[in-house]
Amino acid sequence: MSHDDYKEMIPAHALSALETADERMLNDHLVGCAECRRELDEWQSTTAGLAFEATPLEPSAHVRESILAKVREVRAEEATAKVVPFVSPRQNIWNSFGSLGAIAATLVFVALLVYVVLLWKENRALQSQVTTVAAENSKIKKDLELSLAAIKLISSPGSKMAELNATPMAPGATAKIAFDKTGHAMLMAQGLPAAPAGKEYQLWFIVGGEKMPGKTFATDSGGSGMLIDQVPVAAMKSAVFAITMEPKGGVPAPTGQVYLVSSS
Amino acid sequence: MQPEQVQTTDVDLMKAIVRQDERALAELYDRYRVILFGLLVRILNSREEAEDVLQEVFLQVWRRAADFDETRGRPFTWLVTLARSRGIDRIRNLAARDRVAQAGAREESEQVSDAVADAFRSEQRGLVTTALAQLPEEQMRPLMLAYFDGLTQSEIAAKLNAPLGTVKTRMRSGLMKLRELLADSKSAGFGFQ
Repeated sequence: MSHDDYKEMIPAHALSALETADERMLNDHLVGCAECRRELDEWQSTTAGLAFEATPLEPSAHVRESILAKVREVRAEEATAKVVPFVSPRQNIWNSFGSLGAIAATLVFVALLVYVVLLWKENRALQSQVTTVAAENSKIKKDLELSLAAIKLISSPGSKMAELNATPMAPGATAKIAFDKTGHAMLMAQGLPAAPAGKEYQLWFIVGGEKMPGKTFATDSGGSGMLIDQVPVAAMKSAVFAITMEPKGGVPAPTGQVYLVSSS
Repeated sequence: MQPEQVQTTDVDLMKAIVRQDERALAELYDRYRVILFGLLVRILNSREEAEDVLQEVFLQVWRRAADFDETRGRPFTWLVTLARSRGIDRIRNLAARDRVAQAGAREESEQVSDAVADAFRSEQRGLVTTALAQLPEEQMRPLMLAYFDGLTQSEIAAKLNAPLGTVKTRMRSGLMKLRELLADSKSAGFGFQ
C-alpha cells in the first residue's frame, strides 16, 4: 500500500470508521510518517467539532466527586509504591548464594530480553525496507508503462502534439499533450506547484469561445502529473489546451486561474 | 472597580495536570463535562454507561496528560477524541448486528430530545448544526452513523444498502465540505483556547 493510499484512509480513521485490518495497517504507517500524523491531527480537529451536534447534558454531581476520589487513590498508591521498605541484612551465607543466583538469572533474563528487542527492531526495519522497495518498484513499473504508452501514441500515424506554456501562476512549468487520430490523448506536465487540499488541476479544450472540460489530475511531490483523456471531436482539428486549478473532481466550466496554456 | 479576571487557558490546565494538580483536573472537568457527557449519551444511549465512561476519560486524562502535545492540536480536540474513542470501544462490545440495527433508533430518539433541548444550544453548536445542514443528506448520514453510532464503512454500506466505494467517497466529500465550512466559521469565533 502506498503513502497516498494511507493518506486517503485518514479522514475515515478520524471518524473511527475503518475496518480493523485497515486501521491496524494505517496505525503502523503513522508511526513512521510525520506528514500523515499532521494530516490526522487536522482531520481530528474537524471531527471534534461534531461533538457539538450532540445535545449538551449535565452528568450527575457524584461523577465529579468520584473522579477526584479516584485520582486521590491513584496518588496515594503511587506515593506508597515510591517508599522503599527497610530490609534487614541477611546473615546466612546460603542466602547470599541464593541472591547471587537470582542476580545471575536476572542478568541472563535481561540479556535475552535485550536480544529479543534488538531482533524485533531489526525485523521491523527490514519489513519497512521491503515495503519501500516494493513501492518504488511499483512506481518505476507504472512510469515505464506510461512512457511506452506515450511513445506508442506519439509514433502512431496522424498523431499530433501541442506544447503548453506556463502563465505567471506557474513559472517554469511545462506540459505536452499528444493525441492520435481517434482523439486518444495523453498529457504530461512538470513543474506545477502543489495543489492545496480539496483542489486538483483540470484540462480544458477551447474551441472558439467554447471551453470544454477535460479530466482532472494531481501532481506528485516534484510537481509532475500525467493524464489520459479523450479530445472532443470538435477540438480535433484546432483547439487551445489549458490547465486550471479547480475543486477536486472537476467542474463543468472553469472557475480557477490558468496555469498552463497552448498557443492558438 | 473589580479587576478583570484572567481565565486560565486549557493548555495551562493540561500543564498543571501533568504537575499532579487536582484542581486543574476539576477545572477542566467543569469546562467540558456537559459537552463530553452529551456526546457519550448520544453514542451509548445510556446515562449510566455514559457516566461510567466519562469517569474513565478523566482518569485517563490524569494519567496521560503528559502525552498531550499542544503543537498537534487543542486540548478540546484531544478530550473529544479520547472520549469518543472510549465510547466507541464500549459500544463496539455489543454485537455488530445489534449496533447496525440500533443505529437508526438512537438517531430517532435523539431527534426527539433535540427539539426539547433547543434552549441549551450554544453558539458553537449552532455553527456546527448550520454547517451540517449545508451538507447533502447522502453525505451527512454516513458521517453521523460513523461518528455517533460507531459504524465502520462496511457497516454503513450495509445499513444504507449502498456500495462500499460510494459510502467511502461520500464520507470523504462530506468531511472535506464540513472542514471548509467550519474553517469559515473559525473567523467568526469557532474554537477554543
